[in-house]
Amino acid sequence: MNLDKVISGFFIILAMTLNFGFFYGDMSNLEHHSKYELFAAIVINLIATTLKLGDKTQMGSVLLASSLVADIQLIAAAIVWSVAFYSYSINQEVISIIISLSGGALLANLTSVFLYIGDTLKSKR
Amino acid sequence: MKNSSLWIILHRMRMPFIVIIVTYTIAIIGMLVIAGKDNLGNVYHMSIFDAFYFVTYTATTIGFGETPYEFTYSQRLWVTFSIYLTVLGWFYGIGTLVSLLQDKLLLNELKRAKFKRDINHIRGKFIIVLGYNNVTSSIIKKALKSGIRTVVIEEDEKRVNNLILESFTPSVPILQADVHNKYALIDAGLEKINCKAIVSLFESEKLNLKIAITAKLLNKNIILAIKSSSSHQSQNLKDINTQIIANPFSIISSELSLAFSSPNILKLEKWVYKIDDLNTSISKLPRGKYIICGYGRMGKYIYEKFDDLDLDLVFIDIRKKNNIPKNLKIVYGDADEKLILEEAGIYESCVIIAATNDDIVNLSVLSTAKKLNKNIITIARENEFDDITIFKNAKIDHIYMPEKILIHKITNALINPLSDIFVNELLLKDEMWAAKLLASLIKDINENPILFELVINENEASEIKKSLKHKELITLKLFHTSLHNRELTNNVVPLLLLRDEKRILLPSWDEIIKLDDKILFACDNHAKEDIQFICLNAYEFSYAHKAKEKSTILKRFL
Repeated sequence: MNLDKVISGFFIILAMTLNFGFFYGDMSNLEHHSKYELFAAIVINLIATTLKLGDKTQMGSVLLASSLVADIQLIAAAIVWSVAFYSYSINQEVISIIISLSGGALLANLTSVFLYIGDTLKSKR
Repeated sequence: MKNSSLWIILHRMRMPFIVIIVTYTIAIIGMLVIAGKDNLGNVYHMSIFDAFYFVTYTATTIGFGETPYEFTYSQRLWVTFSIYLTVLGWFYGIGTLVSLLQDKLLLNELKRAKFKRDINHIRGKFIIVLGYNNVTSSIIKKALKSGIRTVVIEEDEKRVNNLILESFTPSVPILQADVHNKYALIDAGLEKINCKAIVSLFESEKLNLKIAITAKLLNKNIILAIKSSSSHQSQNLKDINTQIIANPFSIISSELSLAFSSPNILKLEKWVYKIDDLNTSISKLPRGKYIICGYGRMGKYIYEKFDDLDLDLVFIDIRKKNNIPKNLKIVYGDADEKLILEEAGIYESCVIIAATNDDIVNLSVLSTAKKLNKNIITIARENEFDDITIFKNAKIDHIYMPEKILIHKITNALINPLSDIFVNELLLKDEMWAAKLLASLIKDINENPILFELVINENEASEIKKSLKHKELITLKLFHTSLHNRELTNNVVPLLLLRDEKRILLPSWDEIIKLDDKILFACDNHAKEDIQFICLNAYEFSYAHKAKEKSTILKRFL
């Protein structure tokens, strides 16, 4: 057992599950999507990204790229949410933007997890 | 990945980033959980954005104050704790970044990246020089003067700094790396099309050979200029098609034998290498008894060259040597001692050559010899560049310096390939031929003619190329004409014409020029200018070639 693998696997999968937890629910109703869950998803995603930094292998680069995509989408969702909340009003359009952005991030996280699992299965140790 | 400096930064910053993220999260969560009171005394919970905003300016020690409402004591307790937490996180991050910027590994990577960028920006031809010292420094200077950029790889930091202090223009990119490493060679642009040559003049034969082989395998078309100090090594280098093999001992010994048999050839050779002009008197070495101190690498070469000249040679060496030729006369002992010199026959010899690899020994041997025999001709080998003034003051008849010879030989071969071919051809000729050429050069030009290489192509002779396309006959005579008056001639002597692989030595004026001919002229500055005008300027060309002024566009319309 490799402690490094446990830690990075934990964060990568947790990032995906939190992302899914936020995304799952009624598409038109923000009450089904907790802002605290979005916050947690962003934090865990950022940690997962930093854990992938500095890996020079081919796999490491793709993992980092997918993680960066997820970060950008989630942070964009958070920014849209707070701007709309404080400066304008939250209407149906804003809600769909927030949720679809997190949906995109979920796809990136899924890619990341699949790649990670594939890489782990390939390794013989 | 190409840019490893970025990766080093990212890798090292992993932990600080995580620390910052975690401390922020802890601080933000605390602010979210702990209830505050608004102005009216109602209980409220901070929004995520408020908490993030507050932690952001607190952690960076900016501190805008308590927002959106004044904090309660429970909130302040938490803020006190989180300030220590987050500020420490920040300082840790910044501290790591600063120490990273002083990190040797990162600095080296940054320098390497800059070096590679510099190499990519070189558009013209360039050569790679390995190692920076007196010899390579002169080679660099000569190359830069003729418009060829150079790139240096040097292992020693002190020498790297020396090169940087020299501040060459145009700049000479330098990489501090081990030349054993083939990646250093690749970084220096070995595989690039405009990399023309690599110069390796290390003492270690093995290293030179290794570099030669690596360079040849990585780039077939590269010219190799490699130092060799034994015939075995020269053979190895020849086997891998090394174009320029510089063996200083072989050069010195052949110069010595030239000075004995044909001083005029030596005079011409020295003129081509720009060491002396044509008028310098080179005294012919007399026939008689020769004493050579030191039977090392140079001694061996001298023996090989002089053996068939029917001279009486006596060697002196301090250590007993194995496998010496049978008929070699050798005295063992310190050549500086009077007794040993007497044993070698100092009184009846006419020349003494000090050929050891120690300058002080050489000087002291020669002064002892001069004391014992006033008429003896002294010849010294000088090893260190720094001892030039000492040797000059020692009143030695001939000084030979392997390093200096290396510089001339290599720059000539790299920068003026035609004159190098000319020297090689020259060495095959006899004394009479050389004396004739020498006389005609002095009579037709002056004591110190310059060498000028011309290639008949678009770049250097566009007018001639144009006219050759129209099947016009042009002879070498064209370059002889003076632009001042067509009937007169300039001071030019064509030395060599190279057509494909054919070498025509001293071509006649009636030789017909073809496209891509390479011609070497000896001439004066004025003649060189005229030749360049004839080659490139339509009006001057038509005046010299057809004896009429070409009509200008204006005239044609009129």
